[in-house]
Amino acid sequence: MSNASIRPFFAAKGWQPFSFQEATWEAYFKGKSGLLHAPTGQGKTLAVYLGPLAENPNPAAGCQVLWLTPLRALAADTLRALREPLAALAPGGEAEARTGDTPAALRARLRKKLPHTLVTTPESLSLMLTHEDFSEKLSNLRCVIVDEWHELLGTKRGVQTELCLARLRTWFPAIRVWGLSATLGNLTEARRSLLGNAFEKSVEITADLNKAIIIDTLIPKEIERFPWSGHIGTRLASQVADEIEKANATLLFTNTRSQTEIWFQELLAIRPRWKDKLAMHHGSLDRAEREHAENGLRGGTLKCVVATSSLDLGVDFSPVDQVIQIGSPKGIARLLQRAGRSGHQPGSVSRIVGVPTHAFELVEFAAARDAALVRHVESRIPLEKPLDLLVQHLITCAIGCPFEAEAMRREVQSTHAFSGLTDIEWEWALGFISNGGSALAAYPHYQKARLENGCYTVDDKRLITRHRLSIGTISSDPAVSVRFANGHKLGTVEESFISRLKPGSLLVFAGRQLMLVRFRECIATVKPAPRKGRGHIAIWGGNKMPLSSELSHAVARRLQGEGAPSAEMAAVEPILAIQRKWSRLPDDECLLIEHAHSREGEHLFLYPFAGRLVHEGLAALLAFRISRASGESIHTTQNDYGFSLTSKRGLVLSENHLRDYLTSENLLDDLVACMNTAELARRQFREIARVSGLVMQTPPGQKDRSQRELQVSATLLYEVLDRYDPENLLLAQSRREIMEKQLELTRLTAVIHRLQSMTMHLVETENLTPMAFPLWADRLSATLPAGDATTRLEAMLSTLNQAAAQA
Amino acid sequence: MFPFQLIPSLKLLPEGAAFLTISSTLIVADIHLGKSAAFRAKGLPVPEGDSARDLGRLFDLAEKSKASQLVIAGDLFHCSSGITPELEAALADFMNRLGIPVILVAGNHDAKIPALPAELRSVPHLDMADNFRVVHDPGHANGGCLHISGHWHPVVKIPDGKRTSLRLPCFLFRDNTLVLPAFGSFTGGAVVDVKPRDRVFVALREQVVELPPVLIDQNSPSYGSGSAGRRSSTDT
Repeated sequence: MSNASIRPFFAAKGWQPFSFQEATWEAYFKGKSGLLHAPTGQGKTLAVYLGPLAENPNPAAGCQVLWLTPLRALAADTLRALREPLAALAPGGEAEARTGDTPAALRARLRKKLPHTLVTTPESLSLMLTHEDFSEKLSNLRCVIVDEWHELLGTKRGVQTELCLARLRTWFPAIRVWGLSATLGNLTEARRSLLGNAFEKSVEITADLNKAIIIDTLIPKEIERFPWSGHIGTRLASQVADEIEKANATLLFTNTRSQTEIWFQELLAIRPRWKDKLAMHHGSLDRAEREHAENGLRGGTLKCVVATSSLDLGVDFSPVDQVIQIGSPKGIARLLQRAGRSGHQPGSVSRIVGVPTHAFELVEFAAARDAALVRHVESRIPLEKPLDLLVQHLITCAIGCPFEAEAMRREVQSTHAFSGLTDIEWEWALGFISNGGSALAAYPHYQKARLENGCYTVDDKRLITRHRLSIGTISSDPAVSVRFANGHKLGTVEESFISRLKPGSLLVFAGRQLMLVRFRECIATVKPAPRKGRGHIAIWGGNKMPLSSELSHAVARRLQGEGAPSAEMAAVEPILAIQRKWSRLPDDECLLIEHAHSREGEHLFLYPFAGRLVHEGLAALLAFRISRASGESIHTTQNDYGFSLTSKRGLVLSENHLRDYLTSENLLDDLVACMNTAELARRQFREIARVSGLVMQTPPGQKDRSQRELQVSATLLYEVLDRYDPENLLLAQSRREIMEKQLELTRLTAVIHRLQSMTMHLVETENLTPMAFPLWADRLSATLPAGDATTRLEAMLSTLNQAAAQA
Repeated sequence: MFPFQLIPSLKLLPEGAAFLTISSTLIVADIHLGKSAAFRAKGLPVPEGDSARDLGRLFDLAEKSKASQLVIAGDLFHCSSGITPELEAALADFMNRLGIPVILVAGNHDAKIPALPAELRSVPHLDMADNFRVVHDPGHANGGCLHISGHWHPVVKIPDGKRTSLRLPCFLFRDNTLVLPAFGSFTGGAVVDVKPRDRVFVALREQVVELPPVLIDQNSPSYGSGSAGRRSSTDT
């Protein structure tokens, strides 16, 4: 087989293959697997798909290609892109999608017979592994293509993909696996993670097309009156509207769902005539609402769509010729990804316009441009050994066909994620699915998988049904459905938001001004707001994304005066000048520490430039250590550049003291003590309990009364396990995951080691500097009080008593 | 301050029980024995330990309070699949050692069990000296006497700091009914919608204290009394 068989397809179109396409076909024909790294819209679909098509043009030979996509919303677009070459090279071959959205009739048909090419998601592929005849149906499989691998990498869904691929490789050792990825800082690791022990003979192909990207920034007209902090940033809205006016179709990205709602209302207020040409898109909107926005973009009927990361991926919106980013880009890869949503055709230019929401974001955009131009982007670190997912997968496999323990262990260890699986962990996992998982704790009368003739099998019909319903790793908070009285659904909000509203309250959701009619049993009924007024903007919980290390460094370099002159730096210069005059500019070669007094007492401001999560951990750590010595309570705030400590007294500005407090000794113990990690780990356990099958998943909209007796909260389960089976490995996983998720522990540890050797600059300031002000002003930051419930309650009661005594 | 006396002949114990001094009666509610066994029977690996622990705690409490009878205000058991031979044996042993009468006011979970252990005396409700009546469901309270009940697994939410709160199991006193916290350690709780005239009591170390209304979260979602027992959640 050679590339010659493919060229006629290109010739008929009048196209010339790119060299990366030729290279991919050639590697494929040599039997190799690999990772193709190419920007979107550069013909990478043809690069990976034409090889298997040309190799066996017989359309009737059963399922030959599996195409994995991270987003089911992408499935329809992917099918469109695959069907054309399929018809040309393997006439009569079919391509279908099997995802959670697939209608029951088609699903039933696919259950009987698989098409030539099957587009599916990691969850649906797992589900199909539970069908005993699945391996038979795939007997002609030659290639698995994993689209947008960078999106899956570093997540549990990525590990689920690794495990599924290992299963397929066991069945069909000759299959080739090809991943598609955007730019990453660790492409080799990404390929190793995708291919596991098949990595050795694989290849990495880069489409080095130097896609042209233009990154502009909207410069505020009066920088002196531009805020130093904040994140809403509608101050530039009319300038943004002008930009939208100039372009054909604009994608306007925000960082949060609430910001999407706010900007949508703002643009509508500025340009009422855009009423039908403006749409919004975020993950909590109903599918119909989202499809309206997607179809409008594709068809070119919309002027602008306001969106969150829900539109970051894949979908080809050719009419889009401008992307606007509201607020910090947070990371370089993210900025590039978003920029790539415009200029989707090969050879065209991607353009993104940054809109700062406060002054320092001007520096961020300049810095992001520096890093983006040299493609200095972030890495995505693969997950290691998520045991909750392993036990889920083992049950999935046991349902599909009984497995022998040693063979399965080899298969699991052939993946990157589980290559370091220990004997203890493996024995525990086998125990968890069969007799409870611990030699010490009692699990009488428990059984899920049985050993039969040396093989693990699951044959209880109810267990099988329940497991199929719970396959996957995405767990969401209990959501309240928002709908009109006629049943028209708008989307979902969090219970904590809606429960604060009373019937008659106004709210803003899905781009509409609404009034709450009633809220009952997870359904909030609304109607269009009958009166004008400021409604409550729907808000969702969730962590704010931290600034990436790479972007932080780029910002620090900009503050040191490096980089080509730019409009952003020129605009922000008056503010930087104040910072220089009152203190100095921080950077990441030395640690700037400012000390100031105010009515509230003393403040310390530190600027390690390590992202808000790390700063949150550092602030809590320092506050904990200082107050242990001084006895004073300390209030902390943090942002992406630094953090502050505030106390009535006792915050001395001494290098020796500060170095003592910043020691890496007892780091983990102190963090555990000050961050109330026990409480956090209990919360994190929700996801783990769900993935590992410890709690039951009730299908949405179905209330099965017979299952009521088996309802339990994950936090309660955590306590029971902690009490009677403290060695249960899922507890340790929960503690590990929360430290990484909440504090970026790996990054924090690296930062604290780096701080040890850094020069410190200690500055006593008269006024709050431009860098300090946002930290001082941030009073909304949630703090998690330390101490157990009893201590906290006692403290509250004694405060009340004191207040009463003084009155 | 210990033990807290709501009215002269009724004490609230920090272990989550009520004690009637005139008849020396210990009253607890919602133990849900065998709950983890019920989970295991359905293929969910929850370790054993809760039932033995709860019977042990109850035994100690009965000894300590010198009770001359024990009343369970409903939901002694979780469901029939949780009543294993081991549990039946443990319960028989418990009653044997205890040596005082045990009366079960049957709760909604108990009612679904085809055959309760023979040695248990089960009644729909129980009238006590000094004008007290024990029922399971606070909704079944009627008449002027003081009712002692369970069923709701009441938990109170106390805002604490910025956007965080404590959730503590509590005694709820509403109208003429006292609702006991769930005694079982593997039972969830439901945040109660505290009404203006309600009184809320929580255990604090070795005491039971009344919560000043100012500490209680008035914005907590209103579930209505009817569904209060349905929301599964926990204390902190």
